[in-house]
Amino acid sequence: MSAPDRGTLRRAVRLLDVDARRVALAVLLGTLALGCAVALAAVSAWLIARASQMPPVLTLSVATVAVRTFGIGRGLLRYLERLVSHDVALRGMVALRTTLYARLAAGRPEAVLAVRRGDLLARVGADVDAVGDVVVRGLLPAAVAAVLGVGTSVAMALFWPPAGLALALCLVLAGVVAPWATARGARRAEERGVQARADMTATALGVLDDAGPLAVAGRLEAETAALRDADRRLAAAADAGAPSAAVSAALGQLAVGLAVVAALVSGVPAVRAGLLAPVELAVVVLTPLAAFEATSVLPAAAVQVQRSRAAAARVLALLDAAGPGTSPAAPHAPEPATDAAVPGPQLRAEGATCGWPGRAAAVHDVDLVLAPGRRVAVAGPSGAGKTTLLLTLAGLLPPTGGAVRLDGRDLGALPRAQVVTAAVATTEDAHVFGTSVLENLRVARGDLTAAEAREALERAGLGAWLAGLPDGLGTVLGPDGRTVSGGERRRLLLARALVADAPLVLVDEPAEHLDPVTADALLDRLWHLPPTRAGAARGVLVVTHRLTTLAAADEVLWLQDGRVAARGTHAELLRDVPGYREAVESEQSAAVRAVPAVVPAAGPAREVGA
Amino acid sequence: MKPLDPRLLRYARSARGYLALTVGLGLATGGLVVTQALLLAHALGSAVADGATLPDVVPLVSGLLAVVVARALVAGVQERYAHRAATRAVAELREQVVEHAAAAGPRRAGEDAAGVVTLATRGLEALEPYFVRYLPQLVLAATLTPATLLVALGLDWVSFAVLVGTLPLVPVFMWLVGVMTQGRSARGLATMERLGSQVLDLLAGLPTLRAFGRERGPEARVRALGDAHRRATTGTLRIAFLSGMVLELLTTLSVAVVAVGVGLRLVHGGLDLVTGLAVLVLAPEVYAPLRQVGAQFHASTDGVAAAERAFAVLEAPLPVPGTLPAPDLARGEVRVRGLGVRARGGWAPASLDLTLRPGRVVALVGPSGAGKTTAVEALLGLLPPDAGTVRLVGADATGVDVADVDPRTYWRQVTWLPQRPVLEPGTLDALLGSPDPADRDRAAARTGLDAVVAALPDGWGTVLGAGGTGLSVGQRQRLALTRALLRPTSLVVLDEPTAHLDAAGERVVLDTVDALRARGSAVLLVAHRPSLVALADDVVAVQAAADPATVGAP
Repeated sequence: MSAPDRGTLRRAVRLLDVDARRVALAVLLGTLALGCAVALAAVSAWLIARASQMPPVLTLSVATVAVRTFGIGRGLLRYLERLVSHDVALRGMVALRTTLYARLAAGRPEAVLAVRRGDLLARVGADVDAVGDVVVRGLLPAAVAAVLGVGTSVAMALFWPPAGLALALCLVLAGVVAPWATARGARRAEERGVQARADMTATALGVLDDAGPLAVAGRLEAETAALRDADRRLAAAADAGAPSAAVSAALGQLAVGLAVVAALVSGVPAVRAGLLAPVELAVVVLTPLAAFEATSVLPAAAVQVQRSRAAAARVLALLDAAGPGTSPAAPHAPEPATDAAVPGPQLRAEGATCGWPGRAAAVHDVDLVLAPGRRVAVAGPSGAGKTTLLLTLAGLLPPTGGAVRLDGRDLGALPRAQVVTAAVATTEDAHVFGTSVLENLRVARGDLTAAEAREALERAGLGAWLAGLPDGLGTVLGPDGRTVSGGERRRLLLARALVADAPLVLVDEPAEHLDPVTADALLDRLWHLPPTRAGAARGVLVVTHRLTTLAAADEVLWLQDGRVAARGTHAELLRDVPGYREAVESEQSAAVRAVPAVVPAAGPAREVGA
Repeated sequence: MKPLDPRLLRYARSARGYLALTVGLGLATGGLVVTQALLLAHALGSAVADGATLPDVVPLVSGLLAVVVARALVAGVQERYAHRAATRAVAELREQVVEHAAAAGPRRAGEDAAGVVTLATRGLEALEPYFVRYLPQLVLAATLTPATLLVALGLDWVSFAVLVGTLPLVPVFMWLVGVMTQGRSARGLATMERLGSQVLDLLAGLPTLRAFGRERGPEARVRALGDAHRRATTGTLRIAFLSGMVLELLTTLSVAVVAVGVGLRLVHGGLDLVTGLAVLVLAPEVYAPLRQVGAQFHASTDGVAAAERAFAVLEAPLPVPGTLPAPDLARGEVRVRGLGVRARGGWAPASLDLTLRPGRVVALVGPSGAGKTTAVEALLGLLPPDAGTVRLVGADATGVDVADVDPRTYWRQVTWLPQRPVLEPGTLDALLGSPDPADRDRAAARTGLDAVVAALPDGWGTVLGAGGTGLSVGQRQRLALTRALLRPTSLVVLDEPTAHLDAAGERVVLDTVDALRARGSAVLLVAHRPSLVALADDVVAVQAAADPATVGAP
């Protein structure tokens, strides 16, 4: 990450899809704006030097008009240039975001699932902005400085070649060497500071998040000392880059002075020798004072290029992980279903091994059939790979071994649109969009009516919640569901899965964040879902660690240590599998013993059994 | 918003020396710029008007060269120390904010927790451009601008009058533009933010859209939202850039007016060339710092805003810790009577009574939001209760309010396992206090830590990162439980210790609590699961109250 490939930024900038004509316009306007400043200096120098020779006033009239025009032109042109260049960058960011969305939508599903949400938002938000910024703050100023530098140097050389040459050299010093030094310093500070910055962030975060526990444990002072130490290392890293920045600043200032002195030293003898008119000497000496404005922003531009390159690397990594579109676009001719006796879609895992790419498999060798009318439960201790199995069954994660087939055809070979007409999954980290409750349910089905939405929410146990919302179904939820509690969010996602027209529904831990009574009622409703609108019976697969309600399931898969340790009905497992029995018993016996004590008294809080 | 807030110098000591240095360098720059202009005007004037030879102007040119080198040095020194001062000042503010926020306890006034985290880690970094770019220019506006104006007065009072006349127009016009555009740009910014967050929302929801096969449609919406965002942004920029244009227009135009005026008076012989050239070179320098202040203004606003938020955190009053030594809880008790803490729209908890005694397990039960964790925080003295008392009662039955107790003498007797245990970095063995291996293995067998350690490549020597990275929350809980067993304290508080555990893990916790009770610790459990509740000697229901009037009612 510290040193992305050289082509990284170029590739990312190409994805901005910038319009060459707009870029040319921006460079032209920028050059003209700063050119006005240079011309203003040159013409005023000429005006004053010529005026001192006391010519007729009329001979100066063109110059006086020109000086005022340049004075106005500079501000106006600069304003236009800023508008055009920002427009170029903003258009580029839109193009890049759209491309990013399109590629991620068409590419491998696990590419997006593998990135944490915060990280995804940073890449799509700040990083794309940084790539766009390189146009406004990096590339365009560099282009303007180059065009203007060449133009000014040539113009001065026409008066007096040595002065033009000296100006060109000094411009290179200020516009190439100084930015290089700045970039070097910034890179050094950045590289040395990476670890210190990470430590600083982690420590500050830790102290702020856990101030109470740290104070009680007597470790607050040690942690603040660690923060101070990380900050000290960060300061040392900044110090390591500062000398280069100082050299750069000094060079920028030195270049202006040297250009003036060089013009003076070379020009004075030329005037004596008659090679240069005295008035022209004033122009050649004073113009450089205004010629360095364009180069003065280049050190900052160099730093921006570096920052943007790192951002570009992160954006491209996301794009490359998604790869080219892998979902087949056109549906193939339907093949005969393997189990002709069962109507509707049939999802079948055969020796499926599930896991994330590049990591050890989470679950091995699972055989499973989900068809309309069937109720399957996947249970097991935490960390047994239940969620990974669900993602694989839903076609969101390719199996690393074995096969997952829908009506006899490999899930991965089917277009996504066809898979979701048969089976939908709700995962525990599914997104709640920053829009109305109704629109959030319509994510599953676009033509959902308000009545259907209400019914689904009722079924998911959110009837009372809906009644309490200020605008009912039209209530806008905060981004990422921050305005709903954990349990409400879980049930909202469940309602969303219920409104999808797919006969097969896969649900991840619906009982999490709910008290036992609500959880059991919810699971019970899940086991008895009504048929789809087309009349197909529902097949339900529930991943859960709550075992009490599993008697309603046709089959329970008991996962342990990444394998199906046992399978059968709830009753069979209770009879034959000691681990399962113990788990159920501890869940139930505890509930029975505790319930009387938990019921809160009507009066104030009381102390029991003291 | 003040350009230079005195509080910045109060809280960030590094900023003081830096400001002094910057003022010194600013004065030097003023002198150097004036000297450079005069030397240049004399050298050029004598060559243009009097036909001077190179040897004639050598003394002047040498002086000019010296000034040029000196200016380069000044620029270098400024840059060298600007970065240093910026990082130091940011670090000083960060440490104070973090320490203050930590000391203020869980219910600090003002900033919410997430806000303080962002402020401390990223927000304050925005002060760097303020220190490195903005502040030096601000100082120059106070040194270089008056210096050049004074010299202009000495040289040519007409030009001085033009410069002094236009100078006040700069702030006046900037203010006018600001007032006229404020409403529009505030609206524009709000639209921009809304559209921007909608695009990000769609992208963040992409996995979900894919799960339902609905990922194709929103692509057009991403583009449409993006275009609307761009149009809104351009509209805002069109107005935001106006102030920059006015600034440039005023400054460049008045330089042009000065140049034309000088030229015309030269023609009539009212002025000599050297003076004219000097004024011409000096005129742009009058405005240069102002223009830079304007250009760097936007880069500095984030930093100034961050600093103001930091001051708000720092100026929130801190509770004064008590000084009395805490009684020995091994033979005493913690007595909570009528405890109430104000929450949004009522009390959570409301009127809570409980007593913790050695060798007894108390379970706090109640629906989420009733204030169980808040009750624990109040009981530990981290949060001042709004009603009722928390008293520590010694063996001689003399009680002392927890607010009057020196917290360290109390906390030494407490082990607290929050829902997400925090562990310091180090090896597993060191985390447990390098105990006798036999004791360690016995304790680990009881908490189930032995199975966790067996699966680690380096066993007990495994190094954990900050926060216990490398272990799951459940595993961290086992580690923390083991530590509680090995170093039993008089009071042990376990907040939902089984939340992340399955049935087997839960049994381990139950065993551990039994062992702690047997050793004579007073144990407080915050419990959701019935199995934990069943284990307790006393069960206390925590209730929230919606209406403050009901508190204390029978």
